[in-house]
Amino acid sequence: MDGTGRGDRVCRAIGLAGVVLFLITAFSPLAYRLNQWMAGSPRLVASDAIVVLGGWISPSGTLSLESQRRLDRGIELYQRGLAPVLVLLGPGADGGPTEAEVRAAQARLHGIPADAILTETRARTTREEAVRVKALLQSRGARTLLLVTNAGHLARARPLFEHAAFEVRGVPSDPLVESDAPESRIAQMRVLVKEVLGWLYYRMAGYI
Amino acid sequence: MEATFIAALAGLTSIGAYYVGARALGLPSARLGAAVGKMLESIGMVLIFLAVNLTASVLIVLAARGLTGTFVSAYAADDAVWLGLSLIQGLAFQAWRGSAAESSEPSRG
Repeated sequence: MDGTGRGDRVCRAIGLAGVVLFLITAFSPLAYRLNQWMAGSPRLVASDAIVVLGGWISPSGTLSLESQRRLDRGIELYQRGLAPVLVLLGPGADGGPTEAEVRAAQARLHGIPADAILTETRARTTREEAVRVKALLQSRGARTLLLVTNAGHLARARPLFEHAAFEVRGVPSDPLVESDAPESRIAQMRVLVKEVLGWLYYRMAGYI
Repeated sequence: MEATFIAALAGLTSIGAYYVGARALGLPSARLGAAVGKMLESIGMVLIFLAVNLTASVLIVLAARGLTGTFVSAYAADDAVWLGLSLIQGLAFQAWRGSAAESSEPSRG
């Protein structure tokens, strides 16, 4: 065996592709550009509601960094007077407090009146979030949404909420600031790859 | 700046390793290309294991959701530990293939 078997050639090609992608991701702004492209151009116009999608919460009640970012963006949009209602989503983990309620408590601390905050604690997937937000807002006659989530997730979340008969204005929660640190770029690419795979799955399942 | 520093330092240590290999250890420079090819094969095998592991974990989560009707989180498929585990699996598998190829060489005359 001189190492030129078909299996070796396939492994070598996959390995080469992996190394090239790794180096391009770490040492070029590719991940940032892709993220910007997936975010689109945010349209910050007055809408019927601000919907902040769930991120993750620990069983002890600590919001994940991404969950906190989304909440901060939602609070900022409300304080700019872009919508009269702030919808906060997210279930709990392992019997701990729910993400939506922890977020609501923080929003109240920022001076947002309790009657302007709606929470939904049961939806566990983006698809479920769209269904439950529709049920929550339908009776209020809301039609236009400012949808807050990270840029990669918007590509999947936006069509789901459009299917739920909303006019959606996507607002990325990511700080759209280019990082020179290879580790940050790789982390950003990881999120994007995950979201692209999620988008493909939703397409194949016919959800979007 | 950080990326440039890291790339430059990695370049310097690679050149240093080449000189240590070629001068101090007497390794043949002509075999470096073949060695890089072997390295790519090993990385390819690691990536194949990674793809199989992630695909299997996603399919198991989806099957569990479908069969039990309850929500099963897909976070298990999104854990960085898969990269380390796939590294161990892929390198072990490549070493196994390599040792099998070596042991079969004399019998082929």
